[in-house]
Amino acid sequence: MKQIQPRQNYLGPSGWVWAGKYKLERYLYILHRVTGLGILLFLIIHLTMTTVFRIQGQDVWEATIALLRNPWFKIGEYLVCVAFVYHALNGLRLILQELGFTMGRPTPPVYPYKDALRKKRPWTISLVAVIIILALVFFYDFIVGGW
Amino acid sequence: MTEDSTKRITFKVQRYDPEQDSAPHFQEFTVPASRGTTVLEGLIYIKENLDSSLAFRTSCRMGICGSCGMLINNYPHLACHTQIEEFHSDTLTVKSLPNLPIIKDLVPELNPLFENHKSVKPYILRYDEEEMKEPTAEFAQTPQELRSFLQFTYCVKCGICVAACPTAASDKLFLGPQALAQCYRYCADNRDEGEQERFPVADTDHGIWHCHLAGACSEACPKGLDPALAIQLLKRRLVSQAFGLRKKQQPAPLVSPPTETKPKVPFPEFTVKQS
Amino acid sequence: MRNTYLWFLQLVTGVLIAVLLGIHMVIMHLDAILGFFGVDVAEVTSWESMVGRAIQGVWAGLYMALLAVVLYHALKGLRGIILESTPSATTERVVTWVIIAFGIVAFIGGTYVPLRLLAG
Repeated sequence: MKQIQPRQNYLGPSGWVWAGKYKLERYLYILHRVTGLGILLFLIIHLTMTTVFRIQGQDVWEATIALLRNPWFKIGEYLVCVAFVYHALNGLRLILQELGFTMGRPTPPVYPYKDALRKKRPWTISLVAVIIILALVFFYDFIVGGW
Repeated sequence: MTEDSTKRITFKVQRYDPEQDSAPHFQEFTVPASRGTTVLEGLIYIKENLDSSLAFRTSCRMGICGSCGMLINNYPHLACHTQIEEFHSDTLTVKSLPNLPIIKDLVPELNPLFENHKSVKPYILRYDEEEMKEPTAEFAQTPQELRSFLQFTYCVKCGICVAACPTAASDKLFLGPQALAQCYRYCADNRDEGEQERFPVADTDHGIWHCHLAGACSEACPKGLDPALAIQLLKRRLVSQAFGLRKKQQPAPLVSPPTETKPKVPFPEFTVKQS
Repeated sequence: MRNTYLWFLQLVTGVLIAVLLGIHMVIMHLDAILGFFGVDVAEVTSWESMVGRAIQGVWAGLYMALLAVVLYHALKGLRGIILESTPSATTERVVTWVIIAFGIVAFIGGTYVPLRLLAG
């Protein structure tokens, strides 16, 4: 009888970005990845600006800064700030939880099951609230400090 | 839905016959359901009355064997453990567990799961070879020591955590939450001395360090095992080991034979007269 | 245990970035808020302000340290993401070396300018 090969059934990278009915922490994981990659992309542009354009003297520098006053670039800058705030604060949560500090002890499972992340979810939600507040603070400053 | 009233529920079941089909496709069935009807009962109804070629795994039908893991409405469940009523919908989509190969229809290939599980050496390892081969007594373990890992012993190897994990979705070499949680279960067991043998298996790029605490495994686990907690505790153990902060702990000793024996009960008198 | 050290370093650099980049963000973007606290930073992206910072060893040191930790943290994260698509073992090695090379080049390029400006 011919040997049947089982069919590959991996979700692939779409398993990274789609979180469906899963809870908060999976969405936070997706955002952590997206903000990380976004900041890396910005970093490459930023490094080019502050090396190649900075060393060429005042004229090139001021021309670059003038270019960045474009509203689209300002929005991009704001998004990078928010991405940093999110990535840093979520990263601090990950540091604490991945080292097992704030996860609590193993408890024998009694239905309905509450896993450690679910028990600590109120803290995670307050963290997200802090991130939103900081994003608003940065927004205020972007508007007030010269658009 | 009540116990008396029956609703007609549409099951959109993923079909895949490796000998005939090039890709999986959906087939619709209409199944009568009332309060308390599980998805597994619906599938058995289909197999008995509508299409006997439908393939799926089932055994205990009570959520303890781990055979019937499936993707129901895009979330992994045990089919026997999931009632049709909890979806509040007239249509159910049933697919095979993702991130594990499909053999046929709703039957996933679980060997990758078992191979990963075996690679973390999921058994008690002691230096005392003689005792391992010819056991003389049991190991002493207090209830407190048991409680530190008891939660992680309830694994039924259903593969739902692997189906839920975003890393397992793309990383074919990832050990998976099941294997990593069982690795911690044995490292945390005070009867075990095999930590040093398991650490190199977990401490690889495609091992524990690709876990990023998405928490989907713990959320989806039908036995309340919390593999995410086990994995983070294992990370803590690995970091303590790397920085030499682990306290040397004595493994559980053998229980010594009892020194006081009760007096032998005398043979009772015969109640039936012997001729 | 090597991977454990590298991962732990990811955490440590993460905390360092939160501090150093936090300072950078606050100086660069929160001028109105800093104004409330009495710190006047005037136009931070102007040539004068930039040069004023560039000749101070503290700022040059801060930027170079920030660059080092950011490059380690970001490139290790990127490598992790790429490796999660399970490339072959050869591709893994190639990706690792390309990333290390890029990191070294970026660090040299990124510290050359602050040092040049510091020296005058």
